[in-house]
Amino acid sequence: MRVLATIPFTLLRMVRSYIVLLLLLAMPILLLTVFAFILKGAVTETGEPYLYQTAITMVLTFQLFGGSIVMSYIQTDFFSEFRARIFALPFNRTMYAFSIMMCGTVYSILMGLILMAYTQFVLGVAWTNWLWAIYILSLMSILSSVVYLIITFAVKSFKTAERLSVLYGVSFVTLAGLFFPMPDNAFFRFMGSYGNPLALSVEAVLNMSRSNSGGAWFQANLLLAVTVVLFALMLLVGRRRMA
Amino acid sequence: MTAIASMQGVLKRYGPQVALDYIDLDIGEGEIVGLLGPNGAGKTTLIQVMTGMKPFEQGKVTLFGSSGNPFSYANKEKLGLVTQEITVFEELTARESLLFFAGVYGLKGKEKKNRVEEALAFVGLEEHAGKTPNKFSGGMKRRLNIACALTHRPRLLIMDEPTVGIDPQSRIHILESVKRLRENGTSILYTTHYMEEVQAIASRVVIMDQGQVIKEGTAEQLIQTIQHEEKVRIDVSDPDKVPVVSLLNIAGVKKADLSGSRITVVSAAGSGNLDRILSVVKAHTGVLGIQQDKPNLEDVFLTLTGKRLRDKEEEQ
Repeated sequence: MRVLATIPFTLLRMVRSYIVLLLLLAMPILLLTVFAFILKGAVTETGEPYLYQTAITMVLTFQLFGGSIVMSYIQTDFFSEFRARIFALPFNRTMYAFSIMMCGTVYSILMGLILMAYTQFVLGVAWTNWLWAIYILSLMSILSSVVYLIITFAVKSFKTAERLSVLYGVSFVTLAGLFFPMPDNAFFRFMGSYGNPLALSVEAVLNMSRSNSGGAWFQANLLLAVTVVLFALMLLVGRRRMA
Repeated sequence: MTAIASMQGVLKRYGPQVALDYIDLDIGEGEIVGLLGPNGAGKTTLIQVMTGMKPFEQGKVTLFGSSGNPFSYANKEKLGLVTQEITVFEELTARESLLFFAGVYGLKGKEKKNRVEEALAFVGLEEHAGKTPNKFSGGMKRRLNIACALTHRPRLLIMDEPTVGIDPQSRIHILESVKRLRENGTSILYTTHYMEEVQAIASRVVIMDQGQVIKEGTAEQLIQTIQHEEKVRIDVSDPDKVPVVSLLNIAGVKKADLSGSRITVVSAAGSGNLDRILSVVKAHTGVLGIQQDKPNLEDVFLTLTGKRLRDKEEEQ
């Protein structure tokens, strides 16, 4: 498998992309630190520090944008001038694209893990069940990569694809009611709960920490199902575009 | 000569526009084929078809004599492509980029490292191997772009305008490298719209325009097809003593004009009478300078198509 030989270099390329580090690691660390100061001492009705839920939501929110890494490298290698070079190489291009997707997803999960570690060991946030949180974080990261790739494959102009992908992230953050409260009707209630991957992932983590494992699994499985369906869609759209 | 790559009657269209118009092309073992044509002639499309990147409507492409799929991995392993645009990884050092490509070509361990160092030395980047391309000049990036196609020692190297937008020093380095590759037995398809490059390195020249091969042969053969007369300009010290009538009596001389201190003598092509013209002039006056006009591939192209290879703005 010649694609395997490319993986260390794909990871190196990603690690050296300082803009990604700035946007998906440095910025959340800064924001989390600011929120930790603002919310110091504030607790919810159940006595839980406000920072807990805020930190968990923020870490998962940035996973919504993790797909931008994969999007950027797939665009460079398959839809820019690089395309000719890649086509001339004696390897399976689909596997190469898949390896980029996997590297980008793993890298995004790693950044999420760093954020989790930072919030727990520096800011004192209790993640309670780390394994569960990592599972949900991974689901969010895979989903984000899949959605970003669908957009990349479906839209010809990369600028438009970039804008649509930002719209994807910002819309779900907004619909989750993180910027301002949403109107109280059936549509917004759905889009702020079961119809929103961010809301699903946050609730899955919180439910598990509150020992509501049934609710947590239900939300996680919904997230998994959406990911599987969109993955199949991504394969279809991708095959058409890569041909 | 055995053809290492060939295209037979290849037709490629982009919608209603014909990009390759039933093209026939052979590249022989150890040959440098210079593919010359203006922008939009179909050179890049030809390369894209030859490397399997673009499908084509009709015709046949054969690589390395194999009868099966010309774009199989086995064939791609013997093929190197230098893209027109600089396609190097901005985040990787020169050495890392080459290790990436060497790995894709199945090289491993010590052999991989040796081939990478060999390619770096070949393009003169060994001292910059640890730097990323953002610290490189345009010429150095071009050289790295070439090295990326060399680690696996391809039998056929396809170079799509590899010297666009670079300084003369890097251009000379690249042309010298191409010659050395040929000496090592690599066959090369070299596309450009710089006729002087083709004239300097190509063993055979193919002129393309509007998706068609309009002429092919050695540079000399192509030039001979349009060379109908020879022109020599001689600057003399004493123009009043120039023997115009004697010059007109020399076999093959068609015309002799004196203008200021310069005499222009036009002869039939291949008459080879330069020595006789000079001896007649020297017998009457001192010779200050001689200039002989010879047609080049640019003139061939102009004669065949009525167009120039490059726009005036491009030349500037």
